[in-house]
Amino acid sequence: MYVNIESLDFAYTKRNPVLKNISFSMEEGEVVAILGSSGSGKSTLLRLVSGLEIPTKGKIEVNAETLCNANTFIECEKRQVGMVFQDYALFPHMNVFKNIAFGIKNYSKEAKKQRVLEMLKLINMEEKIYAYPHELSGGQQQRIALARALAPSPDVLLLDEPFSNLDADLKLKIRHELRSIMKMTDMTAIFVTHDYDDAKDIADRIVYLENGRIVHEETIKPD
Amino acid sequence: MLSRLRRNVNIFSVVSVIAAVLIVVPMLNIITEIFSTPTPAWIHIRDNLLRGYIVNTLILVGFVAVFSALLGLFGAYMVTRFEFKGRKLLSWFLILPLAMPSYIAAYAYADMFSYTGTIARFFRRLNLPIIINMMNMEGAIFIFTLTLFPYVYMLTRSALSKQSAAFSENARLLGANKIRTFMRVVLPLLRPALVAGTLLVVLETLNDYGVVAYYNVRVFSFAIFNTWENLGDTQAAIRLSGVLMLLVFAIIFIERMIRGKRQYSIHVKGRPIPRIPLKGWQRFVLPSILWIIMILAFFLPLAQLIYYATLTFTDVFNMGFIFLIINSLTLAITATLLTVIIALMLANYNRGTQNNFKKGLLKITNLGYAIPGAVIAIAVMIFFIDIDHALFPLYRLIDENSPRLVLSSTLIMLTFAFVLRFMAIGYNSIEASYDKVGTKFTEASYSLKASKLKTLLQVDIPMIKHGLISAAIIVFIDVIKELPLTLILRPTNYNTLASEVFRFAREEMLQESAVPALVLIFISSTLIYILTHYKKKEVPINVR
Repeated sequence: MYVNIESLDFAYTKRNPVLKNISFSMEEGEVVAILGSSGSGKSTLLRLVSGLEIPTKGKIEVNAETLCNANTFIECEKRQVGMVFQDYALFPHMNVFKNIAFGIKNYSKEAKKQRVLEMLKLINMEEKIYAYPHELSGGQQQRIALARALAPSPDVLLLDEPFSNLDADLKLKIRHELRSIMKMTDMTAIFVTHDYDDAKDIADRIVYLENGRIVHEETIKPD
Repeated sequence: MLSRLRRNVNIFSVVSVIAAVLIVVPMLNIITEIFSTPTPAWIHIRDNLLRGYIVNTLILVGFVAVFSALLGLFGAYMVTRFEFKGRKLLSWFLILPLAMPSYIAAYAYADMFSYTGTIARFFRRLNLPIIINMMNMEGAIFIFTLTLFPYVYMLTRSALSKQSAAFSENARLLGANKIRTFMRVVLPLLRPALVAGTLLVVLETLNDYGVVAYYNVRVFSFAIFNTWENLGDTQAAIRLSGVLMLLVFAIIFIERMIRGKRQYSIHVKGRPIPRIPLKGWQRFVLPSILWIIMILAFFLPLAQLIYYATLTFTDVFNMGFIFLIINSLTLAITATLLTVIIALMLANYNRGTQNNFKKGLLKITNLGYAIPGAVIAIAVMIFFIDIDHALFPLYRLIDENSPRLVLSSTLIMLTFAFVLRFMAIGYNSIEASYDKVGTKFTEASYSLKASKLKTLLQVDIPMIKHGLISAAIIVFIDVIKELPLTLILRPTNYNTLASEVFRFAREEMLQESAVPALVLIFISSTLIYILTHYKKKEVPINVR
């Protein structure tokens, strides 16, 4: 299995567990949607996979590497995990080029530029290379955030409610774009949503989360 | 056209326009005087002294800016990012040095380090031949840094506590270690707060007269006073003021240019960054640095003043001293009320405006804080003398024996100067409150046919009362501590706590200056306590 999550528990305080005994696995290139209402623990699950929180118990493996278990914890900056935040969190003081290049610091200057252009081509936004985040629309910001997360070629991509800030028309368009980018890059991805239509359109499989527990899984048949 | 004009003429617009005119005219006086034929005194200053004034001012301001920014940032980062014993107490204690006027700290330190001072004697007792001379440029940099860094601290702390964790989390997920995340993401996002805080420090340093006069540091404010008082050359003083104004505007302009089209804020919900408990040696060392800063900036000079006050209290505290307190309070209350009322009118006139005329008017009325007190003092004095000359026939009509100068020998002139100088401070606090509340309540009131005045009194003021109180407290503290304007513009024989501290210090009666200095510090500290603790209780307005 490419991603393997086993018996994962998490609590901010002992009395209030947020996630209980979460286990699921993913194939390489698979897109899994975590569907649940607010407070179900779905964003926390992403924070655990990314390394922003430490689980109280359980194991996370990605691409045959143990990210955490009872004895190991790899810091978030050392994991090959990309994440697109709900509000995109584009650095407001950096232009598009610098935002995307931020995560690929080990590349040479030329290779960095090539990679940024490649990413911008992928999302069809080459002309915005020197624009600042405040000069972009919500949809454009979302695509740049995606390009930034994809640029370092992560093993797995995490998306936290990626459509929550978009209006209905734009949401449909971006949903299809996102789906095609995922498939084009053959990216393994986990995305969190509270909207069944988002999950159905993008994911290969839906994991239903309720009160911190997985209650159901559903495989989506391609149209 | 007429109906449009009628629609735009209301109490807010009238007060705003009058305020702008009253502020602009004195400043125009300065600018026009710069182009008149130079006096011999000016030619002497320009050829022999000006370069020195500019270099000294830049050295003083440059070092104070850098050190204050570092101290302010360190303090703010510690109390917002880490958890340690005494954090809550320190988080408001670090604002307290603002209650210690720079000139009072300067007198206390100069005395402590003098040959007969407490610290010099302490060193001698330990057989340590250490003699530190405070009364020079380095001493002035030390004093300004310690008493002004809270401006940077307050603004940076507020920005840090509002900064979403999403940015630094994102940076770390993109492979940046803690140092790179801090340098490339956290610090640049703090830039507006850091720059704004440091700019306040710079403006306050340029404004000061008490420290540089006592430490004999020949910077601009020193030169302006000296030219005005000792050489008696108004025009040369005005020209010096003009150069100083140019320097201030150049600093502001360069900052804007460097910033370019970059923005430092974007709406990101995210959670605030959680505080990390300090561990190991850090648990003792890092908070100790903050306590040392506090001791140097506040408690040490305070202890010295308390000791002196015990020696001189019976000599200084008499009926005259009570009148001194009454004078200071009356003046501060009057100036504060006027400032807050006019700032409220301005804020109302400018709410959510995109109109260039209104924006321009606002920029003019908020200019005062950027202009050093010595410059404002001279501008206001000339303005009032001109008014007195113009009104002289009227004075004669009322009283045949009327003196030529009436308004310019009263408190009206000083109060006017305070309002002009501190308008921006009052306005900013009120504007921030209006931004939080939005315009919907006011619009609802207008839609119910309430007049502008009724809406202001019954809807707006109750909703922004916290902002109004904050504005009043900040302006009050600034007015009661203010020295350069008070020294130049107060009527003859009218003394305040600040002017009395200065007088005692100038006459080398430092022990006697302790009592009025302590009263000033006590009033300011109490108000800072109220300000920091009252704000916490503020209930946010959450209406969809």
